[in-house]
Amino acid sequence: MADGVSVNGVAAGRAAPTTATSSWVDRHIGWLLALPAVLLILALSIYPLIYSVWVAFVNYDFEIPGHAFVGLDNFADIVSDPIARRSLVNTAILSVASVAVEFGLGLMLALAMVNRFRGSGLITSILIVPLFISPVIVGQFWSLLLQQPYGPTNYLLSKLLGEPVAISWLTQTPWNFIAIITADVWQWTPFMFVILLSGLAAIPPEMFEAAEIDGATRWQTFIHVTLPLLTPIILLALTFRLLDAVKLFDVIYVMTGGGPGSSTYTASFYLYQIGFQQFHLSKATAGAWIFLILSAIIIAVLVRRLLRPEVR
Amino acid sequence: MAAARTRRGPEFRLGFGLVRFLYLALFLIFVLAPLYWVVVTSIKPTSDYLAIPPVWFPAEPTMVHYTAALFAYRGLAGLINSLVVATATTVLSALLGTLMGYSLARFNTGGPHLSFWVLSQRFLPPIAIVLPVFLLYRGWGLYDTRIGLILIYTVITLPLSVWMMYAYFRQLPKEMEEAALVDGCTRWGAFWRVALPLAVPGIVVAAVFAFIFVWTEFFFALNLTSRKAFTLPTIFRAFLGFQASQYGEASALAVTSLVPSIVLGMLVQRHLVRGLTLGAVQG
Repeated sequence: MADGVSVNGVAAGRAAPTTATSSWVDRHIGWLLALPAVLLILALSIYPLIYSVWVAFVNYDFEIPGHAFVGLDNFADIVSDPIARRSLVNTAILSVASVAVEFGLGLMLALAMVNRFRGSGLITSILIVPLFISPVIVGQFWSLLLQQPYGPTNYLLSKLLGEPVAISWLTQTPWNFIAIITADVWQWTPFMFVILLSGLAAIPPEMFEAAEIDGATRWQTFIHVTLPLLTPIILLALTFRLLDAVKLFDVIYVMTGGGPGSSTYTASFYLYQIGFQQFHLSKATAGAWIFLILSAIIIAVLVRRLLRPEVR
Repeated sequence: MAAARTRRGPEFRLGFGLVRFLYLALFLIFVLAPLYWVVVTSIKPTSDYLAIPPVWFPAEPTMVHYTAALFAYRGLAGLINSLVVATATTVLSALLGTLMGYSLARFNTGGPHLSFWVLSQRFLPPIAIVLPVFLLYRGWGLYDTRIGLILIYTVITLPLSVWMMYAYFRQLPKEMEEAALVDGCTRWGAFWRVALPLAVPGIVVAAVFAFIFVWTEFFFALNLTSRKAFTLPTIFRAFLGFQASQYGEASALAVTSLVPSIVLGMLVQRHLVRGLTLGAVQG
């Protein structure tokens, strides 16, 4: 393999004698290879973001020609909108609650699965299936299961509790929040599971043997050995998950449509309603910028600190 | 590896025997229940939907909902759009991601700032991107086109492709490329002839993750397409606040959509942790 490659290399080197062009290419090869990806990101992410700054400061309306400059009005509209604040609070509640439950269940799964046993490969394969399903479909699953009165959930609960259960899971607070969190937990607990599992598997067995020799109980070992060694990967998993959880949209769209009223609006769903249903595009864009800046603060604080030691 | 399988690890210290078994069993039921229910619902005759108690398995399974989902609800058109868009995006994203990942890994292009800048794209709120892209696409004639969707999906999957390939190339030994350079190869030659062939397994994995992402994506497709370039997940719009009469079609469409991505997911299962963390954790 290595011989064949070097022979090719020599042949290529001789066939193309060093010209000014190829030595220029050689000196700038790093940037030349990165350029196509960088240009595409600049064109379809950075340029739209810059363009959207302008949109946020004008009144962009399909009906009204000319886009009058309105200063900070769009931002003021958002900040003073009680539904906007409600959406932000909902986003915080739903994402923190979902990620907390996912972390707890995922950690327990990882602990239960860290030592292989007969059939553990098959169980792992089943456990990760939800990660490969579109969130819209996950929302659909749970809408079907929780449907009142024909869904199986209420029926089984009735049998289990021995009394009639008629919960309107999708329209009754707080059950609609629980339904949304359930769908999110179903989809994303495997995320926590696989990441924490790989963290657990990477802990050297000597650490546990040492704790055993020192006479530590299981609980002491978990608190003083496992958890500290797992902390970096726990933080990484929580950060990745939280940054996605705050974008929650699909499940809301399918399961509750933000309702009843606007009680289950999340930030993304609220901005979608303003922008793509009511076509207040400038107001939505201003709101998106506020949301982006809030997200950027989380990114700057969490991700940068977390990924450095892991990656470099 | 064999040692790792038989070692007395954390489980020995933390295992709970029966509790562990019960927890796993309950969680498996939790995972499998929705999947079972959607499959069963997709083959139930319509008359079974309003039954109390629910019909756990239909006496006369039927495939009519699949036909309806594919033709009456334009599932087939959505399937083709999804296939075209996901395939094209995957190729483009893997290509650009490999080039840039190599550049970052071998030449440290742009220092830490460029790589972090690409990563930060992954965490931008989609709503902040989709609003201006929607307006720009209308002006550029890219709204409701497959090309428009392919381009934006490529941008969205680039952090994944770039970072997975970045991590992959960093763990490939440099020595073979250095030998090729000594032998008179250009740097491009060293990449093309030496590094690239070695990176094929990594590229395949990154490409599969990109494909699954596009296949399951809903938000951008919802806002950037309408009657022509709509993808499979966007068809679920038709079932909002859905009536019992549509349970079968919705379920049939769900089954049609989830089978390909689950099959692909199983193929990259070993690399799942790398895929989920963009190469930050070597699973």
